[in-house]
Amino acid sequence: MQQPNANDPKRANKIVRYKAQPAGGPGDDPTPDYMNLLGMIFSMCGLMMKLKWCAWVAVYCSFISFANSRTTDDTKQMLSSFMLSISAVVMSYLQNPQPMQPPW
Amino acid sequence: MKPVWFLLFALFCLSVSYAGSKKHDAFVEDNDFAEFEEFEDEEDGVVNDESDDDVQEPVKQPVENEEMQEFDDEQEEEEDEDPLSDDEFEHLHDEEEFENFDREKDTPKGKSPDKLPDLQMAKVPLHLRTSWDSFYLEMLMIAGLTVYFLNFLAGKNKNCKLATAWLSAHKELLETQFSIVGDDGVAKEVTSGVLMKESENVYTLWCSGRTCVEGMLVELKLLKRQDLINLLLRIFKPASDQVIVKVDLDDGKMDNFVFCVAQKRSAAKLHKDMNDLSQFTERKSSEKFDMPVSYQLLSEVGEATSAVLDKKVCQMLTKHEGVIEYIHISDQFSGPKVQEDTQPTKMPDTKACLMFCFTIPGKGKTRASDMEDLKPLLQLVFYCVDKVSRLQLSREARMKAEKNRQKAEEMFLKAAHTQRQELAQQRREERKRAEKERLMAEEDPDRARKLEDRENRRESKKKQPKMKMMKIKAM
Repeated sequence: MQQPNANDPKRANKIVRYKAQPAGGPGDDPTPDYMNLLGMIFSMCGLMMKLKWCAWVAVYCSFISFANSRTTDDTKQMLSSFMLSISAVVMSYLQNPQPMQPPW
Repeated sequence: MKPVWFLLFALFCLSVSYAGSKKHDAFVEDNDFAEFEEFEDEEDGVVNDESDDDVQEPVKQPVENEEMQEFDDEQEEEEDEDPLSDDEFEHLHDEEEFENFDREKDTPKGKSPDKLPDLQMAKVPLHLRTSWDSFYLEMLMIAGLTVYFLNFLAGKNKNCKLATAWLSAHKELLETQFSIVGDDGVAKEVTSGVLMKESENVYTLWCSGRTCVEGMLVELKLLKRQDLINLLLRIFKPASDQVIVKVDLDDGKMDNFVFCVAQKRSAAKLHKDMNDLSQFTERKSSEKFDMPVSYQLLSEVGEATSAVLDKKVCQMLTKHEGVIEYIHISDQFSGPKVQEDTQPTKMPDTKACLMFCFTIPGKGKTRASDMEDLKPLLQLVFYCVDKVSRLQLSREARMKAEKNRQKAEEMFLKAAHTQRQELAQQRREERKRAEKERLMAEEDPDRARKLEDRENRRESKKKQPKMKMMKIKAM
């Protein structure tokens, strides 16, 4: 399977630059986008209905979205989602400093 | 005599008050909580007044209390008969209110059993009794986040290590085949040796500068080791790292045919999802080829299939059975089917390319040293590329392929045409409906009549032109 030395397959004059694939497509993993959205929804629920567990779940969703994100994704969006979830947690505890009660 | 008695009494009071000051705090505390205790209605006001009195004259009450304790036996009945003092200091009679109380507890109980309030534990609000123990759920959450973050770092590093190990193992081979290995397309000058990171688990490498080949994109689709949730899911559904190699051929370098050999688990999905495979290929039996039964053959032109599946390729398929996921060779490659409601008006762009998918063995437990074992597979890629570019089909095979492509194009155009017709019909109907609605909505009867006349004239004009043209022709 080796190329004979006389026929070097390399062609320096045939170089084609890499063209980045356009973002988005059916093969793309939608997890980071879903988790981002879910995180924002949970943050809003936690802030408005003063539910501590919602705020904590929002932090987790933001984290999962960050872990699964692509390098082409907007970091500003990720950061804003993170900040929103942390603010939801902080606000819930400022308004009601009691610890979370387990459902059982 | 009387002043002497008074002086003695005052001295006695002072001494008692000193002794009683030790009990003062408890007493005051009790009185603080006494505010939260439920008393009978008539005493509510009295209790409030009493609390004010407590603040102002803390000494007086313990003195009075002590007094009552001392002279209780003698003055029992007197205090009973005095209703005002009973109401005010009733709680003082209750011996159980006081700590470190030495007197017998029998006598006070006999006093006024029906007026003694039930002893209630004061409800202390939660935030006044905070200790870190009560925040155990929060601690659990923070611990979970820490674990996730640590796993993120570990997974990210592992993936990075695997990707660089693959590159270092294959770089030499790639550099013998390509002029540049690892261009990122960003810098002005052509760069080399850049392994692009698409995400924490996907790395790509672009190689270019070879005969017959426009470029080769190697995609390292590693497992999501950086995501703890994915890690837990993989406990139930094991998965493996994959290496996907896509070689874009120069135009005209490949004869027209579509071919695919894939593991049975992937073959069905590819046949359904890929545009070219679903349009041109059929399932064929792989009996006459010396390859494992776990592979499914999808072929358009039998001659091309036999040419591609020569002895060497079949040997590789047998030797690396679990590793080679699929080999897809096509001159009409346009990606997977796009799920759209409307039919696209133009046929999708096609490209001649070869795609190879290799599954790294180990079910996810890949080590950096395993990358060395994948070198023969990359050599298989180059072998296939050279073979396909040199392949020349017979005339019949070429005619058959050409006919297939023409048929596919015609079907596409027909579908697009019917789609366009339907759209035009829909638009016409909508316009008519809008006109009718305008007519109905018109309140002024004259204007309504005018619009109707205009509509009728328009419709009759539409029907007339054909006849008019015929008349002219006859003339």
